[in-house]
Amino acid sequence: MAKNQMTKNESLYLKKVNRRKLSGSLEYTTSKLAYQVTAVLVFALVIWQIVLPLAGGKELSTISTALTAVYGVEFLLQLITVKRIEKEITGAAGEISNTTRKLGILLVPFVVTGNFLLFIAGAMLLKKEKNLEYQLAVYSLLVNIFIILISLFNLFKETLVDTFWLGIGFYTLYSVLNLVIIGAVSKYTFGKKPDKKFMPFAVICLLGIALGNVFSFVLGLITIGKYRNKNEEVSVEWIDVIKRLFRNYTAVIGMFFVVLFIGISIGSNLTFDYDLAIANNFSARLAEPSLMYPFGYDDYGRCVFTRIIFGASISLIVGLVSTIVPIIIGGILGAIAGFYGGTRDNAIMRVMDVLNAVPSILLAIAIIAAFGVSTMNLILALSVSVIPSYARTVRAQVLGISNQEFVEAAKACGAKNGTIIFKHIIPNSLAPVIVQATMGIGSAVLSTSSLSYLGIGVEAHVPEWGNILKAGSTFLETNPYIAIYPGLAIIIIVLAFNFFGDGLRDALDPKLK
Amino acid sequence: MKGKKMKDTFARMYRSPQYRIWLWILGFFTMLATYITYKSKKGKDTFAKVKEELRGRQELQDQKEKFYQDALVQVRKKNEYFKKTVSDSEVEKQAKAIAERNFEQLLQDKAQEKAEMQGVQEITVASCYAALIGNPVFMIVSIILSFPMYILMILFMRPIAKYVTERLFLMIFVLFGVTWLVFTILYIAPMDPALNILGQTATQEQIDSFRHIYGLDQPYLTQLVNTFKNLITFDLGNAYQGNEPVMTAIMAKFPITMQVTFSSMIVALIISIPAGIISAIKPYSSFDYIAMFIALLGLSIPNFWLGLMMILAISVNLGLLPASFQPGNWMTLIMPAIVVGTGMSASIARMTRSSMLEVKTSDYVLTARAKGLPEKKVVLKHILGNAMIPIITMVGMSFGNLMGGAAVTEKVFNINGIGSYIVAKQSIPDIPVVLAGVVYISFVVSLLNLIVDILYAFIDPRIKSKMKNY
Repeated sequence: MAKNQMTKNESLYLKKVNRRKLSGSLEYTTSKLAYQVTAVLVFALVIWQIVLPLAGGKELSTISTALTAVYGVEFLLQLITVKRIEKEITGAAGEISNTTRKLGILLVPFVVTGNFLLFIAGAMLLKKEKNLEYQLAVYSLLVNIFIILISLFNLFKETLVDTFWLGIGFYTLYSVLNLVIIGAVSKYTFGKKPDKKFMPFAVICLLGIALGNVFSFVLGLITIGKYRNKNEEVSVEWIDVIKRLFRNYTAVIGMFFVVLFIGISIGSNLTFDYDLAIANNFSARLAEPSLMYPFGYDDYGRCVFTRIIFGASISLIVGLVSTIVPIIIGGILGAIAGFYGGTRDNAIMRVMDVLNAVPSILLAIAIIAAFGVSTMNLILALSVSVIPSYARTVRAQVLGISNQEFVEAAKACGAKNGTIIFKHIIPNSLAPVIVQATMGIGSAVLSTSSLSYLGIGVEAHVPEWGNILKAGSTFLETNPYIAIYPGLAIIIIVLAFNFFGDGLRDALDPKLK
Repeated sequence: MKGKKMKDTFARMYRSPQYRIWLWILGFFTMLATYITYKSKKGKDTFAKVKEELRGRQELQDQKEKFYQDALVQVRKKNEYFKKTVSDSEVEKQAKAIAERNFEQLLQDKAQEKAEMQGVQEITVASCYAALIGNPVFMIVSIILSFPMYILMILFMRPIAKYVTERLFLMIFVLFGVTWLVFTILYIAPMDPALNILGQTATQEQIDSFRHIYGLDQPYLTQLVNTFKNLITFDLGNAYQGNEPVMTAIMAKFPITMQVTFSSMIVALIISIPAGIISAIKPYSSFDYIAMFIALLGLSIPNFWLGLMMILAISVNLGLLPASFQPGNWMTLIMPAIVVGTGMSASIARMTRSSMLEVKTSDYVLTARAKGLPEKKVVLKHILGNAMIPIITMVGMSFGNLMGGAAVTEKVFNINGIGSYIVAKQSIPDIPVVLAGVVYISFVVSLLNLIVDILYAFIDPRIKSKMKNY
């Protein structure tokens, strides 16, 4: 009996050890999520096969059948890989064998079907030593491939925009460069300081921001930051934060979608036809989804797919501006209130109380009622209503920090108040504000679409997700796809920002340092 | 006994500057009588004599000189350190002020010490009041003449009542601020209701007469004061468009919005609290991951989209529930409540999980387990009970979002509530409707938040005891 108990305990212990080993392996986490999500997708596609005739779009049914089959193959392949990884890591060798690593080559090409998780899993499997730079380069390549893939949907259309091939050329060229960078990264960036030979590549990486590729931009920044870091014993703090962020796989996926949407909103100017998004074409009014127009037409005969693609930039711009403006205003007010205290604190916080007492959407409605419907007024309305929350966060932070010893020391040294606020207090109180801002962009996107849906957000002709949804809600019974797809776009971007924000919160947590 | 409590309360209230003002305003006659007595007694009592006698003493005069010298050194050192050049007379003036202050303090202390030994009491307003209220005739007259002051005193005696009163008082100020803000925004608006209603072809005369009827030609301050008056008396006149009385319309629509709000809050609580508890008890389990992913999804789904999809699936395709809301038919309330409730439940579930996880590792939870309490009791009473405050705060904040977001859901389900009423009238802009809608909703939200704050006291004994010493 006692022996039985002991073996039971032992097996429990072994199980725990194995689980810890597995969760520590990047290959395992990425592969596991890949096969799980692919399974869900296969399931959803099978259901879609049944629902599709209800939702319209018979032309697509053969394609989606083929897609289901391909995804099924992907699922099986990934499942085999996961099982092998699991066996090898928990086995005697304790690490993944080279044959299994070669399976990665099979996984990577499936990115063509849009399954980015397989691509990431494959890329992580292929390489044994993965540093932050390698991961960034892989994600950057992935973003490029996705933008090209999405742009290639235009090939089914009758006419292409003049700059289409130029845009595709740019992205292909950059993808090739990116492949070279992946090679260079694994060769030159190991150790504390990157090799000098990598510096030209770093400059190319920085140029990626012109195409909206934030991953490659960050890669460039990191290598330059590391290169310029004089004291090799001390790691650069913001690089550490990014490193911690990349340990959280869901946060990275959130970041991937955010970067993808940024890239799309820049790339779409080259590869997509804006006329299709705004010009009326009554002959094709409310046509069903087809390969040529994947998400169908709306009630004015505009391509819903193109409208959603162009909607990304509007949503991101409104979200970004209406987060940055209140951060600046609310941050300054909160810092003054927290630092000086007394009457100034009281006066500022009472005004904030007044602003806070009105539910934010109502305040936005009142402001738009007064100034009229336009994008600028929308940004103003959204900004004003979130000022108090930033002011409160900053004030609480500043109150906590200004009582600490280093601020007292700065005061004793005779530093001016302005210097203390800007050099000591603000940098130390930024972390929660950054997290709040990341989440704030997501909720600003939500508010924008809600207000547009009410008809008081962005002007009605502008391709904005809420506007498309508004049109879709009228034809919900006959053409539900007009309402479904923009909603999915909103969910993806907001979810991405939320995941990213959650990850940032953990990465910026001072307890982890 | 009762008289002593009254005297104590008066003394405590008189000490705080804000309450002193309110004592004067609400109980002018009593205060006047008390003050006159105080003035006539002041300076003639034994305490003042003791004080004057002490002031004349040589040793204290020496002390004053010493204070002055110390202060002089102190001021000079300070200026030297900060490298400021100050004239001598200025330095002496500052030093004198410091010395004077210190001396008065010392004198007061010494005098009080001595007076206590001799059994003499200092004459203050509070002691005058105590003496006067001992007289039954004065007491009755005073209660009749300045009963508002006594109501205030009764409130002051009860800590929670005092807290609520102060919060209500602050709330009124905030609501005045809200009214001012919204009114000013609408006042400086470039949108002209007259033009929007009468159309582009309207003559100047018509516009002028429209503005005259609705008081839009009056100066800013007059309009603002009128608005305050109208909002308080619940008499907002007629809407610009349709000519219906605004208050009647709002009164008809408000209960509908409240009904949707509360039913969706109930749905949210039913979903979120159990989900949060299970996630917190078994963190990093499959249930936790799935539940928290769904919660994050719930935070990211636009309410109106979820509503549209539910209408598509349940009403259009399956035909189970009616798509639009009808008052009095509870079947039509199910979908709006579920749609709004699931959105709300996401944030509450996340908050429940994180706040319970924080409490879970506390020592008293370990103690509770060690003394052999059943797991259910440990979780519900010790962990959840102590994790309740952030959850309740979240619920309170959610009310604001619910009432504010009502406009959107009301449009989806065709609910004839206050939110959709404001949206329908905002394009003109119909100033009384928008203003009244925003201010009254803010009022309700503030009131709900106040109730949440008071709930704290009943849930957390620490906060309750803090309030008692308030």
